[in-house]
Amino acid sequence: MNGRMKLWVGVGAFVITQASTQAIADPTPESASTGDRPIATQPHPVAPAPLSVAQAGGEGGEGGEGIAPQSVGFCAAIAVEGGGEGGESGAAQPVSSPVRVYDAATVPALPFGDRQVLTSFVDTVLLPTYGELNRAAQRLHRAIAQFAARPTQANLQATRQAWLAARLPWESSEAFAFGPAASLGYDAGLDDWPVNEVDVLAILQSQDALTPEYLETLQTSQKGFHTIEFLLFGRNNDKRLTDFTPRELEYLQLIGADFAATAENLLASWAEGVEGYPAYRKEFVEAGDRSTAYPTPQAAATELVQGIIDILDELGAVKIGEALDAQNPFLLESRFSHSSLQDFYQNLRSVELTYFAGSASRPGRHSLSRYVASIDPSLDTQVRQYLLAAESAVKAIPGPIETTLCDPAAKPQIAAARDSLLTLRGVFEQWIMPLVQE
Amino acid sequence: MARLMACIAGLRRARGRFGAIALLSVIAGVLASLLLHGAGWAQSPLLLAGGDTTVQNRTSQGYSQPAPNLSPEWLALHQVGDRHFEAAFVTPPAPVNGGLGPLFNNTSCTGCHIRDGRGMPIPGQLLLRVSLPRQGLPNSPDPVLPAPTEAAPVLRANAHLEASVSLGNAPPVPGIGTQIQDQAVYGYVPEARVKLRWQEQPGTYADGTPYSLRSPQFEITLPSGDPLPSHILVSPRIPSPVFGLGLLEAVPEAEILALADPDDRDGDGISGRPNAVWDVEQHAEVLGRFGWKANNPTLLQQGASAYINDMGVTNPLFPEPDGSYEIDAHTLKANTVYVQTLAVPAPTQRQDPQVLRGERLFNAANCAGCHVPTLRTGTHQVPALANQTIHPYTDLLLHDLGEGLADHRPDFRATGQEWRTPPLWGLGLVQTVLPYSGYLHDGRARTLAEAILWHGGEAASAREAFRTMPEGDRAALLKFLNSR
Repeated sequence: MNGRMKLWVGVGAFVITQASTQAIADPTPESASTGDRPIATQPHPVAPAPLSVAQAGGEGGEGGEGIAPQSVGFCAAIAVEGGGEGGESGAAQPVSSPVRVYDAATVPALPFGDRQVLTSFVDTVLLPTYGELNRAAQRLHRAIAQFAARPTQANLQATRQAWLAARLPWESSEAFAFGPAASLGYDAGLDDWPVNEVDVLAILQSQDALTPEYLETLQTSQKGFHTIEFLLFGRNNDKRLTDFTPRELEYLQLIGADFAATAENLLASWAEGVEGYPAYRKEFVEAGDRSTAYPTPQAAATELVQGIIDILDELGAVKIGEALDAQNPFLLESRFSHSSLQDFYQNLRSVELTYFAGSASRPGRHSLSRYVASIDPSLDTQVRQYLLAAESAVKAIPGPIETTLCDPAAKPQIAAARDSLLTLRGVFEQWIMPLVQE
Repeated sequence: MARLMACIAGLRRARGRFGAIALLSVIAGVLASLLLHGAGWAQSPLLLAGGDTTVQNRTSQGYSQPAPNLSPEWLALHQVGDRHFEAAFVTPPAPVNGGLGPLFNNTSCTGCHIRDGRGMPIPGQLLLRVSLPRQGLPNSPDPVLPAPTEAAPVLRANAHLEASVSLGNAPPVPGIGTQIQDQAVYGYVPEARVKLRWQEQPGTYADGTPYSLRSPQFEITLPSGDPLPSHILVSPRIPSPVFGLGLLEAVPEAEILALADPDDRDGDGISGRPNAVWDVEQHAEVLGRFGWKANNPTLLQQGASAYINDMGVTNPLFPEPDGSYEIDAHTLKANTVYVQTLAVPAPTQRQDPQVLRGERLFNAANCAGCHVPTLRTGTHQVPALANQTIHPYTDLLLHDLGEGLADHRPDFRATGQEWRTPPLWGLGLVQTVLPYSGYLHDGRARTLAEAILWHGGEAASAREAFRTMPEGDRAALLKFLNSR
């Protein structure tokens, strides 16, 4: 059934349920097609399937093994015990949400065609975010240089702060990682994970000359955010000033320069164009016109919604869900600095940025939010409510999650955050996507 | 519509009074839909390029969607496989994803098959297959095997497990194997350094419009500093998209063989030969389907050989010499299922007059002679893939594409001029998924027009049809391709 058909089936359901005065208040998988649109009760694609798989992992070892072949560490003992429990917390059960009914006014009369939404997104969200990332990366580079020149506690603190500050714009760009970020390798160059600790330590112990030519031979897992983090914070946010070796400072400077250059290139790839390619901004805002990537404005708008769905899935099912089910803090991305929670907030922020072309309190004049509201104001209101709910659920996770992940007392909050993120994903998947799709 | 009927049936079964209300609701909805949108809906049904595995998604994640018809169990396995496909390996021992190397090309599946699509023609993604010429092998032992050094203590000569696959006509190069691994974990020396330059050659359309085609020139330097000896055969290959592959795996062998015409009995200038390759599980020679030369028989083997050869990760199909491995059978299975069950994106702009004209021109130029639009799948262990009518635009056979594209390196039964017809589904999303990426086996074609203009051999007449078309027709043909 295509989207439009679904909507009209919904209209039919609405009309009849209104007439019969007997509302169908029993959302089951089938009732999704009656227009009630219960989130995440359809087995696919909304159901948080990865979680149910992680449960299987507890039973049959199907899942986690390859990803985390040696899940030893902080809470290895808990992990063994928690394997069985994963099922309960796994919450493969449907994440329920209030029923939503479309009425006739909900169906857009025309396909999405508001190119200003696209322009506004690039100019008020994407470029400023990448711009801030670039500035933060340059600041980090300078802070590293200062710290290397004068390795004092104050300079170490400042460098760590600069690293944490650079995470903010980067993690808040994760809903829109399409385009050159993937194809020109900037995403991997900045944020490859996990760190190849064995190789990094071997390089540090070697006599290799750390020249720009040497930098060219480094893999992405030996540089970028997390290698810098590894060197600045230590394995468990426990590195002392006296632990730093001159060799580490030298290596930090080398990869700090590379990091700053990559962030600059990422911005340039959208703003001006790099390597002889035109600015990617044009590709996006000229959707349906001269764009080779987006033959219609709908395709570009869909890209935005898809990006929102994907980061919510990544955050809910992988970053939080997988770590929770495996009870393995090694799976937390920013575990060296104990700042994974901050990443989570920023990932949600990236959803907010993309949807509002600004913030919930100050949405851009042209934004997905305004577009949705122009079709159905109540739908936009509901999206806001789900977004708020997800934000407060994530904020309720006691931190740092690196130490609370295996704490049974924290489990309900962590699981609730995951569930509300996956519910929000369902909201965008089932309610918003059909409004912008071809 | 079938799903709708099933849904109605489900409702009818499930509920009494509420069910009746729901049923009426659905019917009313359908009527409303047909009334108000019926004409448009009937005129532009979604082309189910991948049968019931088709999704409507023209975003940069268009190749990355699970097939919508998977059961919850298969979807769950798909999701596990998704994590494995993304997992970036690091040097062991490591708390997460240890097992990389010692020699490799990239650290994750997705590092090459970016967003489940193709890769770029750049080091780390572009792969160089190598072999010795079958005739006149130089007698000197190990011509390029570097001596072990302090820095590279354990270069495992011929540690390339693909060497254990019977490659009668592509003998491994001593010290390298059949694939150049240009990356290594710390303490090991990559087999070679690869530099790539592009060489341009001009051409003109029949209407006088000029174009320029580029082809790659490789500078391959061994650890010794010497160039790779010139008698060694080199075949560059970019990573291929991985969606829809389960469907191609499910096409019955008989259906593919029925398309073969090795002696061109029908006289259309197109032969089409099946490759026959070694199946590591079955220990038998079987039909090859996957890869630029159809040199892999199954997705399990394709994935397992990518783990060992591209990432240096041993696995049950290609274990360590002592029989151990770094990823287990479950991981390999989930990874395989992931690739098998990636959905096919539905074409777009199907009713656009220019697209329709382009489709007619595509058929008139006999592009469809090799890029066969429609196939049927048979049985498959993944039920969602079975008995589907699909539109991949491939015959999965080998064709002589002429001297211009030749790599001169045989691969099982494929000659140095033959390539397997690549599917064209999802083609219009190539630049959305991976901007700036190229087409053809080594990514040389920057545009689809360039890709067509490179066709030679059996495809020379189709290429000439395109080259001599008026500009408007060329644009229509390209628009058709980009709508897939």
